[in-house]
Amino acid sequence: MSIANVKMKEIKVELEEQLHHSYLKQFLQKPVIDEDKLLILISIIEHTNYSEIEKKNYVITTMLVQIALDTHDLVSQNSLKTDSDITRKKRQLTVLAGDYYSGLYYYLLSKLEDIPMIQTLASAIKEINEYKVSFYYKEFKSIHAFMESLKHLESLLILRVAQHMHQSDDSEFTGNWLLIRKLIREKNRYLDKGNSPIFDLITKGPGTHLQNNQIIYTVEKFIHKYTEHVEDTFSHLPMHLHTLKSYVQALTYDNLRKNIKVMEES
Amino acid sequence: MKLAMTYSYLKQDLDTIEKALNKTINAKNPVLREASVQLLQAGGKRLRPVFVLLSGKFGSFDIDKIKTVAVSLELIHMASLVHDDVIDEAELRRGKPTVKARWDNRIAMYTGDYIFARSLENLASLEIPKAHQILAKTMVDLCIGEMEQIKDKYNVKQNLRTYLRRIKRKTALLISTSCRLGAIATDAPIEYERALYRYGYYIGMSYQIIDDILDFTSSDKQLGKPAGSDLLQGNLTLPVLYAMENKDFYDKLRSLFEQKDTISQQDIIPFINHIKSSDVIERSLALSERYLEKAYESIRVLPETRAKQTLQDIATYIGKRKT
Repeated sequence: MSIANVKMKEIKVELEEQLHHSYLKQFLQKPVIDEDKLLILISIIEHTNYSEIEKKNYVITTMLVQIALDTHDLVSQNSLKTDSDITRKKRQLTVLAGDYYSGLYYYLLSKLEDIPMIQTLASAIKEINEYKVSFYYKEFKSIHAFMESLKHLESLLILRVAQHMHQSDDSEFTGNWLLIRKLIREKNRYLDKGNSPIFDLITKGPGTHLQNNQIIYTVEKFIHKYTEHVEDTFSHLPMHLHTLKSYVQALTYDNLRKNIKVMEES
Repeated sequence: MKLAMTYSYLKQDLDTIEKALNKTINAKNPVLREASVQLLQAGGKRLRPVFVLLSGKFGSFDIDKIKTVAVSLELIHMASLVHDDVIDEAELRRGKPTVKARWDNRIAMYTGDYIFARSLENLASLEIPKAHQILAKTMVDLCIGEMEQIKDKYNVKQNLRTYLRRIKRKTALLISTSCRLGAIATDAPIEYERALYRYGYYIGMSYQIIDDILDFTSSDKQLGKPAGSDLLQGNLTLPVLYAMENKDFYDKLRSLFEQKDTISQQDIIPFINHIKSSDVIERSLALSERYLEKAYESIRVLPETRAKQTLQDIATYIGKRKT
């Protein structure tokens, strides 16, 4: 097992401890830790001269911010009079859980007296929320333009943290890879639950002409296209990202196989 | 007398802070900018900036530092209001549509997160680690306080201690932090910083108790929402906790809360009437008064200045306020 993989396990445990809250746990699903983002962050930070404690704290606080932002994306668009007490309570606690995770990142960095990192993460949160509102209302001229915006949104936090550390984050590779993973998650959600916030935005926007199954087929085409981009950039990845590279290679092969299968079936 | 009259001489500094607030939330995105500006223009008492400003007078006053702290605290307050409106499903705030009503919950979440981020980004320009530590702890406690409020909803088995701990986190902490950070930003002596922190805490407790009383005693028009809204939402405030000492009231409330999904405004009228006709309002006012006395007491150590007089005047105002 590589150093990055060992660190990933350790940090996940610590992150889960930070995220644990007995009352939230009763009503909300465990917050999802995006392992792709976690591994990318570890791979980038490992290459820096920061102390081991600083490295760990940077990864944990960045992930807390990511989870806080993701949690607020789960708040339903509207509150309905017909909402049950439990639906209402879950929504209320989702709002507070996001605020709580944001507070935790600030609390951890303030204890470390790391004001520059507080500034970097706050600035990234500001930028991401500006971008989210634009994304929410933007009239995309094409599905390609939509995908490019989604790619930017998915990788923005990591990009800003990498810049803070004066590291090249190989943003093209990171963006493409995170977009693929996001699309796969959304596709699976759509197949399992019959809905997906991203699929909704596509069908209400640039993909308004798409019929039921066509949306899946279209998204798979984009997964395929961006997978090719990722493969093209493999050879340019720096040596220190080799764990990330092998992880992505294994998953890319797996994804492609599954996607081709679904594409053939449809 | 209006509260603003007590500190009208601070107008120039407060205008400076107001301008800085406007500048800080100047989002590039038009929707986000409109949502933030709407919140800002809805006004409010700007209590937190006033406390920062007054507390800053007990150290080496520097309007730039004070402005930075005051803006950050008001922004945190604003961000929490936007998210609170999603939690409470509120359509109006200070007579105007809330962000969630005008746009939707999602935009309210993004607006709150944006304002919160601007607050921290702004404060990060001040290289005072202690200020960040205090504010960060306050923010985490604020969230815990709100979670506790949800946890305690419709729970008739709670006591005075639970209530006091909840309002401490919900209201008093951000006010006491405002006072403390004003002192820290201007390097005020430690005993002044502690005195101001305690003053803010006691004032905050008293302020929230009065708020909870007004929810029963004010008219719908004064409140901008139906009287007894807290009770309707299952929030047990001080007057209710005192009223629950009466067994009949307690039993009826418990059985009402057993059908919490169907409670209407009409259902709570007998409870409001009971509260208004018994001594529980007076007893609640007495507790608020005790906190105010502690607030006066805690700032005795401060030098006799105009700022100290204003802190005393604010305490007096809070005890008498009707809205």
